[in-house]
Amino acid sequence: MMSALHLVNRICTILVSFMKLLVLIILCLLLASCDAGLAPPPPIELGFSGTVYFTPGSWPSRDSLVGLMIFASEIYPLDSAMAFAGLFSDPPTIFVYPSMSESLLPFSADSISYSFPLRSGTYKYIGVVQQISSDLKTRGMRVFRVVGFYKDAADLSQPGSVVVNDSSQVKEINIQVDFRNPPPQPF
Amino acid sequence: MAQPNAGSLTGSVTDAKTQELLIGVNVILRSTIRGTTTDIHGKYQLHGIPAGMYDVTFSFVGYTSDTIYQISIQPDAELHLDVHLMQAPIQADQVVVTANRREQSLREVPVSVSTVSAKMIADHVSVTLDDALRYVPGVYMMQDQVNIRGSSGYSRGVGSRVLILIDGLPYITGDTGEIPWETIPMFQIDRIEIVKGAGSALYGSSALGGVINVITKEIGEKPDIRFRLFSGMYAKPTYSEWDWSDKTRFNTGGFISYSNRIGSFGYLVSASRMVDDSYRENDVYHRWGLYSKFNYNFSQYQSATLTTNIQWRTHGNFFWWKSLSDATRPADSQLGGEVNSTRGNVSFAYKEILSDKFFYSLKAIYFGNFWQDNIYGQVGNTAASHTTQVEAQVTYEISPVHVITSGLVANYDRIISDIFGSHPGVGAGFYVQDEITPLQSLKLTAGIRYDWQRIWKEIFASPAASSPSQLNPKIGLVFSPSPTTTLRTSYGEGFRYPSMSELFTSVNTGLSQITIVPNDSLKPERSVSYEIGGSQWLGNQVFLDAALFQNDFYDLIEGGVNPTQFVIQFNNVTRARIRGFEFGIKANMFHRFLTTDISYTYIDPIDLIHNTVLKFRPRNLFYASLIAQYQQWQTEVNYRYVSRVEAIDENLVRLAPIVDGDQRVACNVIDAGITYNLIDFNLPLTIGLTIKNLTNYYYVELLGNLSPVRTFYVSVEGTW
Repeated sequence: MMSALHLVNRICTILVSFMKLLVLIILCLLLASCDAGLAPPPPIELGFSGTVYFTPGSWPSRDSLVGLMIFASEIYPLDSAMAFAGLFSDPPTIFVYPSMSESLLPFSADSISYSFPLRSGTYKYIGVVQQISSDLKTRGMRVFRVVGFYKDAADLSQPGSVVVNDSSQVKEINIQVDFRNPPPQPF
Repeated sequence: MAQPNAGSLTGSVTDAKTQELLIGVNVILRSTIRGTTTDIHGKYQLHGIPAGMYDVTFSFVGYTSDTIYQISIQPDAELHLDVHLMQAPIQADQVVVTANRREQSLREVPVSVSTVSAKMIADHVSVTLDDALRYVPGVYMMQDQVNIRGSSGYSRGVGSRVLILIDGLPYITGDTGEIPWETIPMFQIDRIEIVKGAGSALYGSSALGGVINVITKEIGEKPDIRFRLFSGMYAKPTYSEWDWSDKTRFNTGGFISYSNRIGSFGYLVSASRMVDDSYRENDVYHRWGLYSKFNYNFSQYQSATLTTNIQWRTHGNFFWWKSLSDATRPADSQLGGEVNSTRGNVSFAYKEILSDKFFYSLKAIYFGNFWQDNIYGQVGNTAASHTTQVEAQVTYEISPVHVITSGLVANYDRIISDIFGSHPGVGAGFYVQDEITPLQSLKLTAGIRYDWQRIWKEIFASPAASSPSQLNPKIGLVFSPSPTTTLRTSYGEGFRYPSMSELFTSVNTGLSQITIVPNDSLKPERSVSYEIGGSQWLGNQVFLDAALFQNDFYDLIEGGVNPTQFVIQFNNVTRARIRGFEFGIKANMFHRFLTTDISYTYIDPIDLIHNTVLKFRPRNLFYASLIAQYQQWQTEVNYRYVSRVEAIDENLVRLAPIVDGDQRVACNVIDAGITYNLIDFNLPLTIGLTIKNLTNYYYVELLGNLSPVRTFYVSVEGTW
């Protein structure tokens, strides 16, 4: 009988110790629950995204590649005056990415993925432009040239339109660039 | 009532610490139908007890129950027995009435039963009943839908797989078969009993996964004024995207009641008011409530009670958020919408003890439910439902070791609605249960219930809904090898008749042109529950309870979406099995200064048709409470973990559409509070501060519904 009582007493002692441990566990859980749970998703980067593919072996020499940018124009067709006005009007109708003051796109890569943040609208002409010279005042020499554009799936000779809305990013706007065989220049 | 060879048991019950006489303590002669409660002087008397040996249990909410074993009742003699009960938050050996439709010690029932006391409701500042159930082991609330061990899933507006009773009478709306949580008179609750597993063998339809019985307070013997006021302030959301309002949002309410007894006549009247600004836009909630209870004791053995309850409510529409980025704003289609409802019930109960071996009760309830939804003041859908149920129950003690309980039930339902149509329905049931105690340590319970129902498409037209008659058995065994050890096992069946809304709803939801079409050939859902469990006291400080369970579900009704036709129709589609185990431990530490209550439930919900995880069921529930008491201070911390729901209805998310409706995380919530009783200042007041969702954790219980943010409540409760 005494041994049974001793056993019960022993079990009680163990369980009370166990409960004290549980109190510590609860306190740990309280700390663990400081994770905030759900949160608003990060703002959606509107605009469009895709990949620029470079034809292997077509990259020009460094001295003729001052800049490489993706552009999106709400206006098409373009001429030089319209391109200039579109870039510097307020608001602009032609956008470039990265901006002209930022670093170059990767040099000698086979392809690059990009994400071009843009306001909503219809962009009728999207492409990649190569800046050949750093002197924008050069006369009699082409400073920029288009080296690839997003094509209309129904007519590969024509640029495809992209509609950017307020709720999502347009994906798979892929552009093929061949420095050796640039497309017809719009300006 | 006097009988030859009969004796009496009398005495008093006092608080062991304060020596205060306790009023309303349950005194039960175990394994018999005999019982009483202590009177205004804390005294009790039981006469006409056949001579013999008995165990007698004294139980009172907030106190540790005490059982005196092997008392000897002698012929024509009075045994005087005074008892002192210890205050204890651990409620492990209470008297419950729901498991077997009569008062019994919790140790005598073969199924898992949990209880929630009025004090726990007050301490948690639970505003509605669903809020009070969030810490019950094995119970999981999906916003306002209750799951017991994973029984329910998501079934908004189309029936509950858990039956709710008020004082033993069903309280389910006649149209949608839902639980009207907000109309349950929270301030008049004495305790809530939650019986887990199928319970249709005693209670009929809807007791598929369990039964929740709300037991209201008895009218006291002396004049009594009670009130409770609370005001909660919602914290500003952490994220500016969710901070939609410039104003501080409050949730405020309260009640006042007065009760008295004049001779044999007792009465209680109560009024309540609640206004919730809500932390979400277009989710404002206003409610008025009136509650009354009248009781007349014809004699010591006869009493009648009439209860009325009516609630008026206006609630803005917030079915789901606009998106996770706008989680505190509803989808645009819900803006400006609100539902106005008037819901009320009248119930009557008459009880009479005809002899020391035989008593019966007659009960009736009418529940009316009227609502209309408005959009910018324009009346939209309307519905009125009337449900009436009457029942008669007899309990007959054939011998001290053999008790039979039996009853007849009949109901009449009527709905009139522009979306459900106009339909009458009738039903009836008969149940019988036999409890045998062949050995002092062994109790066997077996019962069966037969139910019948007919619903008509139109009055005097042919029956529309084919509702096969239902026969539901149950059997249970309790073995108590020692006063501190109980082993139990049970088998039970359950069913749920399809609700009127599942059968007859025909409406364009206005959501992506989805139309709900009727299906009047639905069959009842069925369930089969198995459980094996046990409990063990270790000393008088630690109580353990564990159970293994399996619930099989047949013909579960689901609203299936046809994505091509944009049509929802309810069909019997799912065969499911939910297995799991539940473990609970309650303990006092440091000389009762600290009390812990911890439970863990594991659920394995399988859809056997698709061999996938059953939708809308979490696998893990872990609840922990830590309560410290010192003099008139009490502080408590409650932690709730519900694992992330693995599977949801992707079609619903896609077609509603609920933007970001698939976004969900585990529930990881802490509530904390402190109360102080001003009795030392001769004031009968208790003041409290409660912080719900202390860490401002953001989660959803229901698709696209951000659960309440951190809320600071102050409350004051008084009794004169």
